[in-house]
Amino acid sequence: MTANGWFQICFFFALVLVCAKPLGVYMARVFERERTFADPFFRPIERLIYRVTGIDESHEMRWTEYSIVMLIFSLVTLLVTYAIERLQHFLPLNPQHLANVAPDLALNTAASFTTNTNWQSYVPETTMSYLTQMLTLAYHNFFSAASGIALAIALIRGISRKESKTLGNFWVDMTRASLWVLLPTCLIYATLLVSQGVVQNFRPYDQATLVQPQSVTTTGADGKSTTQVVTTQSIAQGPVASQEAIKMLGTNGGGFFNTNSAHPFENPTPLSNLMQMFSIFLIPGALTVTLGRMVKAPAHGWAVFAAMATLFFAGVLVAYHAEAQPNPLLHAVNQHVSAAPGSIQPGGNMEGKEVRFGIANSALFATVTTDASCGAVNGMHDSFMPLGGLVPMVNIMLGEVIFGGVGAGLYGMLIFVVLSVFIAGLMVGRTPEYLGKKIESFDVKMAMLYVLIFPLSILGFSAVALMMPNLGLSALANAGPHGLSEILYAYTSATGNNGSAFAGISANTPWYNLSLATAMLVGRFFMIIPMLAIAGSLAQKKLVPPSPGTFPVHTPLFTVLLVGVILIVGALTFFPALSLGPILEHLLMQAGKSF
Amino acid sequence: MADLALIAATLTFFLLSIAYTTGCDRLGEKNSGGKK
Repeated sequence: MTANGWFQICFFFALVLVCAKPLGVYMARVFERERTFADPFFRPIERLIYRVTGIDESHEMRWTEYSIVMLIFSLVTLLVTYAIERLQHFLPLNPQHLANVAPDLALNTAASFTTNTNWQSYVPETTMSYLTQMLTLAYHNFFSAASGIALAIALIRGISRKESKTLGNFWVDMTRASLWVLLPTCLIYATLLVSQGVVQNFRPYDQATLVQPQSVTTTGADGKSTTQVVTTQSIAQGPVASQEAIKMLGTNGGGFFNTNSAHPFENPTPLSNLMQMFSIFLIPGALTVTLGRMVKAPAHGWAVFAAMATLFFAGVLVAYHAEAQPNPLLHAVNQHVSAAPGSIQPGGNMEGKEVRFGIANSALFATVTTDASCGAVNGMHDSFMPLGGLVPMVNIMLGEVIFGGVGAGLYGMLIFVVLSVFIAGLMVGRTPEYLGKKIESFDVKMAMLYVLIFPLSILGFSAVALMMPNLGLSALANAGPHGLSEILYAYTSATGNNGSAFAGISANTPWYNLSLATAMLVGRFFMIIPMLAIAGSLAQKKLVPPSPGTFPVHTPLFTVLLVGVILIVGALTFFPALSLGPILEHLLMQAGKSF
Repeated sequence: MADLALIAATLTFFLLSIAYTTGCDRLGEKNSGGKK
């Protein structure tokens, strides 16, 4: 690790910290319909949208109506996405004449983008037409993110309202999240990305003549080898900058190109890399300020922010430390292996990393993208050292509450807050209270449902995949603990709606496409429903005046308890699986064995 | 045929989710003694 590396990590975090408050206050004003500087621009457009779509702005929804409307909206958009993928060959904006997407892959992709996961079992530049990328995938990038923000706002309203049966209006919250927050930010952001060299066009792919023609030998299904000389290279183009902006800001993560943010047309410079990492944490960080402001307890919002920051720094410390070490197995080729400049591994493990980002920014990107539910990558997690690869997996397994996805991170964290105050209440033998609301059995039942569905999907699907040699294991490129990590990571990423991959696994098979699609849908909707039930329950409660036994939720003690609960729940649930995967791989690597 | 099967499976999942919402709501009513 270097001082320069840590300076860059701290600079990145300082940017997030500085911007969290103004954006958080702005979002609170937008969702509470208070006047903002943007009113003259957006208010007339918002009114026009309601008039055209027939939305009654004043209509308030119970949690059940909010939930069912969200489900129907998601179902319709999922089916439209599926239909466009299946028909893309007959539709416009397909200069490469790409074929229709296969049914299982189309469903996987539709579920993936509807749930804000953006898991990609396909190579985008050879599978999806420009129309599919723009009309369906970019559309979902906006509205799955807006949906996450709307749901977090609904939960905050549940906490802040008293003796109320309603949580707001899903359509209004969606409109405000998209129009007032995501769209304007993306317009500026996409322009900044273009300034760094991110492409934005509708051209067919460029053909470049190779300076050195290459001979490529391929083996067909019949076992016969054929050799051909390749003299040209296709250089993919497309409307990338506009996709890239919402991909990062909405913590979606689905790349326009297969190598995602490692591709020079998606993430060309160290500055664009900084902007991308910053935009992942921007809205989730700001939402903690929105929470504090809307519940009229700003210090509580900062206490939640502090818990997220603590877990973030713990993760980046482990990942950066692991990646800054030389791989001990290279002893065979260099007796004096070290991470020193000029050695065989200068700076540490550079396998799978881009030279323009280096080790610190690759470890930081991997931590940030899995703290949040983004899933974009600027380096290959599969090539990280075992403990470096452990960090992204653990980040997702903790529920992606370390800033988390836009909206999803905050509501996930608030479920842990409910559990923390419940545990604090048990310790002192009092009915637990959270910001003046008594936490009762129904709230804890729903919180436990939320917490248990997550590992049930991850561990259940992983176990099934591991038990089936022809379906689950045949897709693996690596054996032993690394192979286990690849399967575990895939289902963790899908259920956590992250979308990053550990590579090494050929997931474009009917089994993986359909099982991962199910994991994504379960991980999104089966967890949102109990969360909204808690919001509805809290909104109905009376306020209880604070007493000497009330556990304050704005102190460092609260932050420590919250961090402890998240770590203990995560460790108890996933440690056995992790010990057979990346931890065992680390120990075997020290003993001289690789996979 | 594959399209129809996948669409039917998706519809079933979302119907289950709506039933899950209703189930949670009923549990909430039961826990609060039917009072809202």
